[in-house]
Amino acid sequence: MLALLIQDPAKINYIEKPAPRPEVDAFGQLEKLASTFHDVDGLFYFTYAVCIFFFVLITGVLVFSCVKYRRKTFDQPPASNTTHNTPLEVVWTVIPLIIVMVMFAWGFAGSIDMTTVPYEASRNAYKASAKQWNWTFSYPNDAAKSYNEVWMRVGKPAQFTLESSDVLHAFYVPAMRVKRDIIPGRFQTVWFTPTDIGEYHLFCAEYCGENHSTMYARVHVVSEADYLKRPWDLWEDDTPEKAVKSAASLYSSLCSTCHSINGAVGVGPTWKGLFVKGPDGKITGKQRDVLVKGEKQTITVDDAYIMESVRSPDAKRAAEFPNGGMAVFPPDQLDDRRLKGIIEFMKSLAEK
Amino acid sequence: MSHDGHHSVVIPAPGPEFLPHTVAHHFDTPVQEFQAAKLGFWLFLATEILLFGGLFAAYFYYHEAYPETFRLGGHQLDWKLGALNTSVLLLSSWTMAMGVRSAQTSQKKKLLVYCGLTVLGAAIFMVVKFFEYKAKYDHGLFVFPEMFHGYDTATGQLPWFKDYHGVMAGVPHGHLFFAIYVTMTAIHGLHVLIGAGLILWVMKGAAKGRFHAGYFLPVDLVGLYWHLVDLIWIFLFPLLYLVP
Amino acid sequence: MTTNVPVIDSHHGTPATGKPNFLNCSSGLMSWAGTLDHKRIGVMYLVGTMIAFLCGGLFALLVRLHLWEPHGMLFSNADYNQIFTLHGAFMVFLFVIPAIPGSLGNMVLPLMLGAKDVALPRLNLLSFYLWLTGAILATLAIVLGGFDTGWTFYAPYSLYTNKAVVTIGLAIFVLGFSSIFTGLNFIVTVHKLRAPGLTWFRMPLFVWALYATSLLQVLATPVLGITVLLVAFERLYHIGIFDPRLGGDPVLFEHFFWFYSHPAVYIMVLPAFGIISELVSVHSRKPLFGYKLIAFSSIAIAIISFLVWGHHMFTSGQSTYAMFAFSFLTFFVAIPTAIKEFSWVATVWKGSIALNSPMLYTIAFLIIFAIGGLTGVILGALNVDIHLHDTYFVVAHFHYVMMGSIALAFFAGLHHWWPKMFGVMYDETLAKIACGIIFVGFNLTFLPQFIMGSRGMPRRYATYVPDFEAYHRASTIGAMVLGSGVALMVFYLVASLLSGKKAMQNQWGGVTLDWHTPTPPPLENFDHPPSVTTEVYDYSTLDLRTTQTPVS
Ligand code: HEA
Ligand code: HEA
Ligand code: HEC
Ligand code: CUA
Ligand SMILES: [Cu+2]
Repeated sequence: MLALLIQDPAKINYIEKPAPRPEVDAFGQLEKLASTFHDVDGLFYFTYAVCIFFFVLITGVLVFSCVKYRRKTFDQPPASNTTHNTPLEVVWTVIPLIIVMVMFAWGFAGSIDMTTVPYEASRNAYKASAKQWNWTFSYPNDAAKSYNEVWMRVGKPAQFTLESSDVLHAFYVPAMRVKRDIIPGRFQTVWFTPTDIGEYHLFCAEYCGENHSTMYARVHVVSEADYLKRPWDLWEDDTPEKAVKSAASLYSSLCSTCHSINGAVGVGPTWKGLFVKGPDGKITGKQRDVLVKGEKQTITVDDAYIMESVRSPDAKRAAEFPNGGMAVFPPDQLDDRRLKGIIEFMKSLAEK
Repeated sequence: MSHDGHHSVVIPAPGPEFLPHTVAHHFDTPVQEFQAAKLGFWLFLATEILLFGGLFAAYFYYHEAYPETFRLGGHQLDWKLGALNTSVLLLSSWTMAMGVRSAQTSQKKKLLVYCGLTVLGAAIFMVVKFFEYKAKYDHGLFVFPEMFHGYDTATGQLPWFKDYHGVMAGVPHGHLFFAIYVTMTAIHGLHVLIGAGLILWVMKGAAKGRFHAGYFLPVDLVGLYWHLVDLIWIFLFPLLYLVP
Repeated sequence: MTTNVPVIDSHHGTPATGKPNFLNCSSGLMSWAGTLDHKRIGVMYLVGTMIAFLCGGLFALLVRLHLWEPHGMLFSNADYNQIFTLHGAFMVFLFVIPAIPGSLGNMVLPLMLGAKDVALPRLNLLSFYLWLTGAILATLAIVLGGFDTGWTFYAPYSLYTNKAVVTIGLAIFVLGFSSIFTGLNFIVTVHKLRAPGLTWFRMPLFVWALYATSLLQVLATPVLGITVLLVAFERLYHIGIFDPRLGGDPVLFEHFFWFYSHPAVYIMVLPAFGIISELVSVHSRKPLFGYKLIAFSSIAIAIISFLVWGHHMFTSGQSTYAMFAFSFLTFFVAIPTAIKEFSWVATVWKGSIALNSPMLYTIAFLIIFAIGGLTGVILGALNVDIHLHDTYFVVAHFHYVMMGSIALAFFAGLHHWWPKMFGVMYDETLAKIACGIIFVGFNLTFLPQFIMGSRGMPRRYATYVPDFEAYHRASTIGAMVLGSGVALMVFYLVASLLSGKKAMQNQWGGVTLDWHTPTPPPLENFDHPPSVTTEVYDYSTLDLRTTQTPVS
């Protein structure tokens, strides 16, 4: 495994479109806050100040002692042999105790706010589905979905229901100060009120395997007017060209973590050469070895096979991947219309 | 190891059929050696209990999560066989205690007899266990030969859990009870086997006359171990067979 | 360093003896491999854990190099994941947990107690061989496909990933028993083998610390054992305990894991506290401030540490009550630690401070541990942790405590007892330079990680958004500086074995029993059975003729 000192070319999609650099607060530590959870920053800076105070105190005493009481002669006795000072010991037990109890109470109160979903947010409920290694978002009262991008209204409290169909993930938007683990088989939620229009990072913060670091989504906080344009549903497929174009962007947010289009083998087979163009310009599927219940068969790739590969991938596994590993996309996550677009996109890759 | 120049303490043998014991070089007195070994062994027993503690925690957690599964699962176990095994182990604990006593009073023959009886108890326990496992196997509740085959990730169908008679139908995750049952009892069974092996080893030493009123430490420690094995079963039996 | 020695020249004082000692009393491979002598076992542990540290460090350097570029410089994502897992697992299971008790503890504890050996020498050797087996299995796991789960082995990923998880699980199980047996042995030794007159409150604090550590090792490690066993069963025959597809609950795994691994961080740090207590006193030549409080606080930490494991799971959706209790107790555990830190500083205050290399490492510890511990307190604050959990802030926190504090305390102890163990002195000038390089390199590596962590950089990322590039680059440069400091240290230590000058009988002027035996100690430690008549750390009893304390 260590032999692979080479870079896999087809894996990152967020590098090409970097987000605006997050602004920094006065202290220079935290990223600019864009939600209503002020408590987090307040307590953070309070504890930070406490730390700096004690750090300076301790370092100061140490450095001073080292300079002043350095052993200059071989048999220099210590300047004092005190081993007890009860008042002092009480002070340095009680003062830290008081300080940490303040931190505790403050932090606990703040966390109650963060975990209690207000009514208004629960009426503005999104769903975030995490799977290795991408995000699917559904919107309040809206059948359309978006992938690795989500749009929210500024100033409106929102709730996200979190679900995972494979391993642990975590929903983390640093600018909003929210994080929650996503546990398969458990019901988890987060809520927050975005306060500033802008674009924000959404990271997966729980290790989930190979492409954990590219499991990235963009949060667009937009004005009411922009929100009403339903930017997440801009899917144009009136002409085959438009369909290919829409599908290409869907590919890059949804499938490119595992499938390349340049021939490189990733977590799954490359899409290059799935379809080939005959001399007459006719596009046909390639011959392909698949495993059906472990038995090898050869089939011709066609629309139905692709559909099946996406809806129930384990029915016919690509022979080079006997262990499978393809993520399942049922219709409510990837509707037929979009899937057809993807097939068009695959066909557009066909070469002579 | 030779430690020239240092004379270790020797405990004389109480009779011709016994052997003397040499106290390890870094101890000053036999009492110190005895107490050190005993304290160490108690600590070891504590780790054993904590090891099982993890399993018990898992048991309680899932008992809480799937009460129905555990109720039905418990019914599939034969409490009569369980009770039989409980009494066998209790009896063997008694014979072991008598064995230790015989060592303390330098009764070589009795020590051998009591240890032999204890091993017999262990054997009976394992035979009964075998029949219990076989019944699970026959009903497809734990198909041992297929244990290591993977499972179908889409349907969650386990190769070792077939449930031919559908006794667990209708409860969620019926396999969980049997997984926990087999894991706990198998690890316990392993301890029974280890314990029996240790007792056989004691018997070998006893036959040579190593253990007597002056030195019976290994017998004492193996005895403690055997009581622990018994104690764990005392908890396993009601939890698995009766509580559900 | 010997420029301004006003009173005596550097060759004054009693040099180490030329009599037979534990190193030269017998020779040949078997005399080491089959030894029951605690000092030889300690030396073997020292070599083993140091190699593990260097391997772990090498992986760390690879991690840092890879993160030079936002899209990663060296590896594929899959390989990066293996490298950081290897780094964490080697450092934790093969280095920090066994290092101090196994090497310095084994070497010094019986000496400090005035005993001829540990109570159960055979078990001691077994511990070492279990460690070795664990190390071999861990290395085997790399060959058998590696493992990419992170050192935490969170289910269900660790159940599904197609790697050598069972092998490494076995390694950890075996290492766990190695650790348990060491702890068990020390407890018995402390109870049963103290020299006449050595009452509990005359015991050096290193012994107290090892005693508290041992309690934790014995009581917490079995739970880790059963946990990795269950993961192995789960992978082999799918019992369904942690697998959500089979009705299991992955959060239960987290509880099991942290029930061990939180106490484990104190298994790692308490021995380090012990070393620091010892060194602060010797090198300030002043009785320890608040001896009893320090001794009791070790025990208090050991007890409370069993009740705070949930602070690693603040974002996993625990009940409000659990959050309340775990956060409260987390803050509470900081108090005994604060008492220790203040007592050490008070010991240095108005001491007679010898700024030699062990003391420099000690002072580095005191400064770095203040940061590491206080950032732990920040993480204990519930809502702040929601933001900081699983970011580089946490990474920086635990490196400040594990590398900056524990590893440095280990180095401090190593420099302190090196002359005792081997009868030779290393090059003090190089030692001071190395300490400086390590201190600067360390802070350069991990301070930027606090900043990027609080700005949202998640951990375990093979690639990252370009916003964080500058911090990562600073950190990588720091790691290179740090690495060269460590390399220098290894160099002069090894060199001293080959051509170091003879150490003094009592190199630093200690008064505990370990300095009352010849240097290096003979096979059964003491020429005459020792007994104790004075209070601990009473420097008025120090015979200045036996020592040549370097003056700086
Ligand atoms: C040996 C190692 C070690 C030590 C000693 C500590 C010590 C502490 N740790 Fe740390 N911790 C780790 C190793 C360690 N930790 C590791 C490895 C992880 C991450 C694991 C992973 O996820 O991979 C972790 C993670 C971790 C978390 C979880 C973070 C997260 O994942 O979200 C938390 C949260 O509460 C925490 C808290 C603390 C606290 C309160 C202490 C306290 O004990 C600190 C006490 C010390 C002081 C307080 C400093 C000295 C005192 C003073 C300077 C006086 C002034 C004091 C006051 C005013 C209070 N630690
Ligand atoms: C004792 C514990 C310990 C120690 C000492 C260290 C030491 C270091 N660690 Fe480690 N680290 C962990 C325990 C430790 N770490 C753990 C538990 C994790 C979490 C893993 C996980 O998420 O699962 C982690 C994760 C971790 C990460 C985060 C990875 C990620 O989340 O993606 C990083 C990144 O910078 C890092 C860096 C370093 C560095 C630069 C050092 C330096 O201090 C190292 C300094 C030492 C050297 C540089 C050695 C010198 C070597 C040579 C000179 C070469 C000679 C070699 C031979 C002869 C063989 N560590
Ligand atoms: C988690 C990784 C992953 C993601 C994400 C993923 N796939 Fe796959 N895919 C695989 C693997 C692994 C295989 C090979 C095993 C198989 O055939 O089941 C595969 C196979 C396929 C095949 C069969 C290819 C062939 O050569 O026969 C098609 C078609 C396919 N995927 C389509 C998609 C589409 C469309 C998407 C996005 C909407 C997608 N995949 C997203 C992992 C993934
Ligand atoms: Cu998904 Cu990490
Ligand atoms: Cu912890």
